[in-house]
Formats: sequence, C-alpha cells, structure tokens
Amino acid sequence: MKPIKKFEFPAELRPLFEKAKRLEWLTLIYLAITVVIMYLTMGNSQAMKTAWYEDLLSMTPSVAFLISSRIVAKPANGEFPYGYHKAVSIAYLCSSLALFAVGSFLVIDSGITLIKGDRPTIGTVIIFGHQIWLGYLMMIALIWGSVPAVFLGRAKLPIAKKLHSKNLYTDAEMQKADWMTGFAAILGITGIGFGWWWADAAAASIISLDVIHDGFKNLKQALYDLIDQIPKTVDNQKTDPIIKHIEDYLQQKTWVKTAEIRLREDGHIYFGEAFVVPVSSVNLIQAMEDTRQEIENMHWHLHEFIITLVSDLPQQEA
Amino acid sequence: MRLLFLLLLMVLLTSACDNFPRDPDETLTKIKNNTLLVGYTENPPWVVKTKAEPTGLEVELIKNFAKTQGAKISWVNDTEQDLFQKLEKRELYLVIGGFTDKNTWKTKISFTRPYVKHQKEKHVMAVLKGENAFIVALETFLHQQTSHLNALPASYEAN
Repeated sequence: MKPIKKFEFPAELRPLFEKAKRLEWLTLIYLAITVVIMYLTMGNSQAMKTAWYEDLLSMTPSVAFLISSRIVAKPANGEFPYGYHKAVSIAYLCSSLALFAVGSFLVIDSGITLIKGDRPTIGTVIIFGHQIWLGYLMMIALIWGSVPAVFLGRAKLPIAKKLHSKNLYTDAEMQKADWMTGFAAILGITGIGFGWWWADAAAASIISLDVIHDGFKNLKQALYDLIDQIPKTVDNQKTDPIIKHIEDYLQQKTWVKTAEIRLREDGHIYFGEAFVVPVSSVNLIQAMEDTRQEIENMHWHLHEFIITLVSDLPQQEA
Repeated sequence: MRLLFLLLLMVLLTSACDNFPRDPDETLTKIKNNTLLVGYTENPPWVVKTKAEPTGLEVELIKNFAKTQGAKISWVNDTEQDLFQKLEKRELYLVIGGFTDKNTWKTKISFTRPYVKHQKEKHVMAVLKGENAFIVALETFLHQQTSHLNALPASYEAN
C-alpha cells in the first residue's frame, strides 16, 4: 500500500485551525457553565427543559470537532492508506444525528405535555435571604445561554468557510440561531407568568421543531458526504465550482484530447482522478506529471490528484 | 446589542407588574375573602384530627395563612391517596399531612418549597398544579414564618 502524503492544512491556514480549536474549547467551557446554570433553574418548565437539552446537545459538534482534529492529524500508513480524514465526516454525522434525535424526542415530549394539559408549577427560591420567583432566574439563565452564543457563532462562521469544515460550520450556524431558542423559551416563561399555562409547552414545541430542522438538514449532508457525493461548498451546499474549473483547465491542455474528472471529499481534503484521452504518446509522462502538479496547486483542498490515461471516455449511462 | 436590550426591557417590564406571576385558574383571587378548600390527613404533630376542627402545626399555619387572605377554611378529611386524587381533579386548593419532599406523588402533584427541616426531613405542602400566584403567596407566607418555625416541631412533640 502506498499511503498518501501527510497533509491537513497549508501553512497559512494552520493558525486559523488553531484559532478554531481555541474557539471550540471556549465554546465547551461556556456551554458547560450554561448547562449547569440552566439545570439549577429548570424547575418544571417544559421550555427550559427543551432549551437545556439543546444546550447539552450543542456540545456535540465542539466535542466532535476537537476529537476529530486529533485523529485527522495522524499520518496515513499501510493500514489506513488514505489517512484519517474521514474522521471529520464521522464527527459531522455524530453531531447531526444527536441533534436530530433530540429534536424528535423533544417535540414528542412537549406535544404530550400540551395534550395532557400538564400545568407547569413555578414556585419561589431563596437567594441570599431574598425570596424570588424562579421564573425570573430562568429568564436570566436563558439570556446567559443565548446572547454570548451568538457572538461565538459569528466568530466561527468565516473560519469554518476558510477551513472547509462542515462540522464547524454547523456548530457556528446553530449557535448563531441560539438566540431564537432562548427568546422562545423566555416568551414561554413570561406566558406562564401571565397565567397561560400552555405557553411554555407551545414555546418548547417550536424550539424543538427548529432543532429537528437543523438536525435533518445536517444529517442528510453528513450521510451524503460519507457516500462520496461530489464536493459541495461549506456554506450553501452547492457543487464546488472548482470541479468545472479543473475540467476547463484540462481541456485547454495541448496534450489532452478529451478528459473527464471525478472528485470526492474526505473531511477537508479532496481526492480525485482525471481520465484523459491523450493526443499522442510523445513526452506523455512529463506532461502528466506537470499537469497533475498544476492542478494540485490550484487549491489546498486538492490532494493526490491522479491522472489516468484511457483510450476512450466511458459513455455515461442515462 | 439590540437584542440584549430588548430582552432586558422585557424582563424589567414583567418584573414591574406586581401581580406577576398570575394563576391560570385565578385561584388566589377566588380564595381572597372567600373559602380556602384544604384537604388534611392525620399525621401528628403536623396534623391532628379532633371531633371538631383539626389541630396541629400545619393546621395552625394554614389558619394563619387564610387570615392573611381574609378567607375562611373548608376542611376535607380523607386518606392521602384520595386527597391527592381530589387535588389532581382540582377539587381542592391545598393538602396537608406532614408530607416530605420525598413524597412519591411528586410527578403528579406540585409541592411547595420545603418550609421547615425536622429530623433531616424537609417538609412540604401539596398545592394545586400550575397556580403560580397562589403558590408564590403561600411560599411567601411560609418564608415569613421561618424564624419561629424551626422551634415549632419540638414544642408540639413535647405536648
């Protein structure tokens, strides 16, 4: 077996990768504090419970990112000739599956609460000798749980795009949307305060629908990635324009009669091959080597791009 | 920033209302200058059954609470099981009987915050689920009694 070269990020992106890791550690610490605060103030509010599960689960992408960033760093070897890049895709699958499962659980749970007409009781607590309604504490916990998250998410988004990290991107998008969860839960608790017992469970249902939506979208993409769908951009899931670019580039080469390419995404890295029908056999090996190098230089994503000579391009079956 | 401001404003606005939280069924309003429906089950010294009105530590507390609301009490005596079922059907406002916070009905019934600790047991009262204004009023009353409550169980046991 010929293992691939050790590579993860080019030199100019490595500081950004380190920054991403630091942001993820910061996220984990922040979420850990949030989860404790929310748990202490939860009482028996359905919306608080939903927001709590959401916060607990939103640790998954950060944990998955940090674990996978250790695994992918290992060099390829005889046992794993393609390296450990798919660990990133597996991390992405875990995050999205967790999100989807919890969203489904919560929508059922709060639905049942609504149907059964279960009325949330929120009493008082004593803090430093003062008695306060627990609902106010819940609101403060929710603000702490949502406002800083928005800023963390905003900091991560551009980095995720540059590093081509879908896991990080999902994480960032979710956090950016966290304020909606927090806001809905605050409305639910305010509703209880006004004597509308159903407001809380209704808010919880809306939050969980949002969680399911995020979970499903990402679960689908994670599975597609593992079945080697053609590379998609991180942000809007469009076919990566680099594919067209390489095709055009190959067609312009004088030694190439006709060519077609195939690309797949392993974590941050693209592997691929070109099937080329050459014009003649003169200087063929040199031309192939040069072209291959030029293509790999186009973008740091492109790695181990292999050119295969064929006499005929296969006709694509309809 | 705008969002943060909006949230803070909302919390401030809600805190500004003095009748917050409110009851879905207006329980506290119904009780005021009217009748407080209380279920009791015997468990001395908390609740002691007599031929006339019940007596005991919790009975005295509830009588005093009713006074603050200008309400008279209508007592209902039954077993713990039946009383909790009545509370679940919202036929009672309050059930007493020396319950602790380890009560197994916790999932179906709401209890107040523990108001007194006696022999390592935290004592609570069972209340109508979701009537938050009523619960806050009762807990506030119990909290005000804290200072002399701690000495009470011992004095009742001495009798």
